[in-house]
Amino acid sequence: MTKRNEIDSLRNMSGDIWNVAVDEYAKGYLKRRDLLKYAALIGLTGFAASQGLGFSGAARAATAGGTVRVGLGQPTKAIDPVTVTDPASIGVLSQVGEYLILDDPKDGLQPKLALSWEADETAKRWTFKLRPGVKFHDGRTVTAKDVVASFERLVDPNSGSSALSAYKGILSKGGAKIVDDETVAFDLDQSNSNFPFYVSSDVYNAVILPADYAGDFEKTFNGTGPFKLESFRPKQGATFVRNADYWGDKALPDRVEIKFFDDEQAQVVALQAGQLDVIPSTTRLELAIEGNPNFKLLSVQASSHDAVHLRTDQAPFTDKRVRRALALTLDREAIVKGLLKGRAIAGNDTPFAPIFPSADPSVPQRKQDIAEAKRLLAEAGVPNGFEVTLTTERAYDIPDYAVIIQNFAKKAGIDIKLNVLPQDAYYGSATFGSSPWLDSNLGITDFGHRGTPDIFLNATLKSTGAWNAAHFKNPDYDALLVDYGKARDLQAQRVAAGKIQTLLLDETPEIISYFSQYSRITSTKVEGVRFTAISHLLLDRVSFVQA
Amino acid sequence: MLTGRTLSARAASLLLTLWLVSALIFLAGQVLPGDVGRVMLGPFADAKAVAALNKQLGADQPMLVQYWRWFSHALGGDFGTSLSMRAPVAPFVLQSLGRSAALAGIILLFLVPLGVGAGIVAGLNQGRWIDRLIVLAGVSFGIVPDFVSGLLLLLVLGLWLNWFPITGAAPDGAGFWTSGYYLILPALPLVLNLAGYLARMTRAGVIEALAADYTRTATLKGLDRWQVISKHVLPNALTPTIAVLATQSGYMLGGLVVIETLFGIQGLGNLVLSAAKARDFPMLEAGVLVMATIFVLSAAAGDLVQALLDPRQRRRASP
Repeated sequence: MTKRNEIDSLRNMSGDIWNVAVDEYAKGYLKRRDLLKYAALIGLTGFAASQGLGFSGAARAATAGGTVRVGLGQPTKAIDPVTVTDPASIGVLSQVGEYLILDDPKDGLQPKLALSWEADETAKRWTFKLRPGVKFHDGRTVTAKDVVASFERLVDPNSGSSALSAYKGILSKGGAKIVDDETVAFDLDQSNSNFPFYVSSDVYNAVILPADYAGDFEKTFNGTGPFKLESFRPKQGATFVRNADYWGDKALPDRVEIKFFDDEQAQVVALQAGQLDVIPSTTRLELAIEGNPNFKLLSVQASSHDAVHLRTDQAPFTDKRVRRALALTLDREAIVKGLLKGRAIAGNDTPFAPIFPSADPSVPQRKQDIAEAKRLLAEAGVPNGFEVTLTTERAYDIPDYAVIIQNFAKKAGIDIKLNVLPQDAYYGSATFGSSPWLDSNLGITDFGHRGTPDIFLNATLKSTGAWNAAHFKNPDYDALLVDYGKARDLQAQRVAAGKIQTLLLDETPEIISYFSQYSRITSTKVEGVRFTAISHLLLDRVSFVQA
Repeated sequence: MLTGRTLSARAASLLLTLWLVSALIFLAGQVLPGDVGRVMLGPFADAKAVAALNKQLGADQPMLVQYWRWFSHALGGDFGTSLSMRAPVAPFVLQSLGRSAALAGIILLFLVPLGVGAGIVAGLNQGRWIDRLIVLAGVSFGIVPDFVSGLLLLLVLGLWLNWFPITGAAPDGAGFWTSGYYLILPALPLVLNLAGYLARMTRAGVIEALAADYTRTATLKGLDRWQVISKHVLPNALTPTIAVLATQSGYMLGGLVVIETLFGIQGLGNLVLSAAKARDFPMLEAGVLVMATIFVLSAAAGDLVQALLDPRQRRRASP
């Protein structure tokens, strides 16, 4: 259909909030993907489906059958949705566990165990209708009781849940309530118009488990997903088979075979030897397969980033002019091209990644300006620059990033000494006073992808934030954050976001110079591998290319 | 001569060594940063929850109390519960010990004939080209670190020639032969690395035995060369070789972290490494203790074998 007709039919779908988004789409401000995301957010479920959105790579009729062989890292501990934190375990969990909503990197929020959702006027109470007739692998039907128990478990400080920080200030014990067998309500601690993201796959712990789940996940892998457990060998791997009772489209592959690797080199060799079809990717591995026609590098844009925090309560960074000066030394385009091989987008020193529809795109992008940096330093009384120590973790590309920052800072006379620690030493106890991450004067910390900027905005920059390494205490910011949480439509969200972005650029408590993409490497023999930027691996639509 | 007294003294020192090792590991675990509760709940867990868990696990007790509790349980074969795997430690350690033993077995299967055979050939042909070639090859292979040769062999034999699977872990339900076949490629780097050393030890023993009085006597008695070599030279020549092998076996059962990691074999070395990474103290303690036990025992076994074979240390019935 023509765009004109399409827009008219879109207008008939919902109220004013929706129409703001549709207008933006018509004017070309809002990308189609973001429109879909937004549709999902305000509960216009089925919209994406009505738009004839198939899965990527589903152009040809995919054939069922076969075994998908997957290489993953070594899970760091026993696999349990409640406590999971590592990418390998999330990859295993995605075969069997499901969420109320899947945050698909391409299509936004997709209803899974929830059919639809809506908020009240204040966005403080959210109600979710559950998909009827969904069964756990052990044959029991999923009811509101299981869903409520799953969330109550995650917000219980004594359960060892690793989702506590995600729900802090959003959802507390007693917040999830049974309305009837197929309806669940959440009473939030404060208004939040992005709450659907919080019960989606973005909070990877939020897998729906039976109400009587007792923490012995590895015995049964009892979930609702398209595959069910065949065998599991701790530290070795796991195999899953098609779940014939799955509520949705049955998985195409007969089996999924997962093997754990301690070493990424061994992983890429196994892929090259044709013994694996899918492996996670790192910058180093990408070099190994570059230009090889037998492999594909699949990427999704993410909001993951390495935040450089500047302690606003300690010299030399108490003066915001000094903080701005350091930020102005960085050539972001060069960092994206050189360090991240182009698989990233430039950041503008705020957590509002360009992939978030709520980000205000009209806020000007900060660019390298050494003259201005020197002028600011002189104005702040340090015309010849200063010495400072940058503390960070030996992980991913971060040590290289630290050296790049060191070199750029030199141009304005800022002399950075590097202190690179092992990752766990850097995090320390993750509490103020005994964590180099939270105590260092200047540091770089890796943050994984989230579907909304909320957790970055709250945890890393709010006065009371648990991860506020910049020790940024700004009442104006805190007030703007409340406005942002209350904003009920995209336009209002974007206005609030614009104010936050402008304030953060002026204050510069942290430097975010890029948002990375998340990649996986697959053999060209397989089609339909999907994944999220936080390591979910969705294999139910995988088919094998007929040679 | 071996007496009961030397044996019991050995056993006592063995136990003392092991006890010291256990205490040292425990101490090391205590001075590492981070605490048990934090390890289990991850860096972002609520501080209250961490404190509660530490209390529940007794990790807030004084060190001596914790050590005694661990030690007394360990004596009864209970190594506690793994923090990361949330399951008893003992089965994990036993399984990985089994995998390490299988790998060590395959290594020895190739290493002994190759190393000892080459050493004997070199020793009997001292100074000739074959001797020089064996010594040179042994030294050359010996200086290549196992992670380099491991990766090269993996690329050549596994990836290009496709002769071997590139992981050491056989699939579920693989039989004895298949499992062994999967371990050949991981074993090769060690075979290459150690064969030269073993050959040199054997060669030295052979040369020494050939020059010894008893060999001359045997030759003068009119025994043919083969009888002289098999009856008189080799038994004496191989004594130091066997001692070396015993010590090396100890190293193979837990010292092969690089190879185990590269080939994805969940052996003892790998178990200890991942336990250390995850700060899984019960697993780490048990793994290192088992490793230390094997080291100490294999060294003791080496001494014992040497004592039994050494003509000066045993009563020999006159021929």
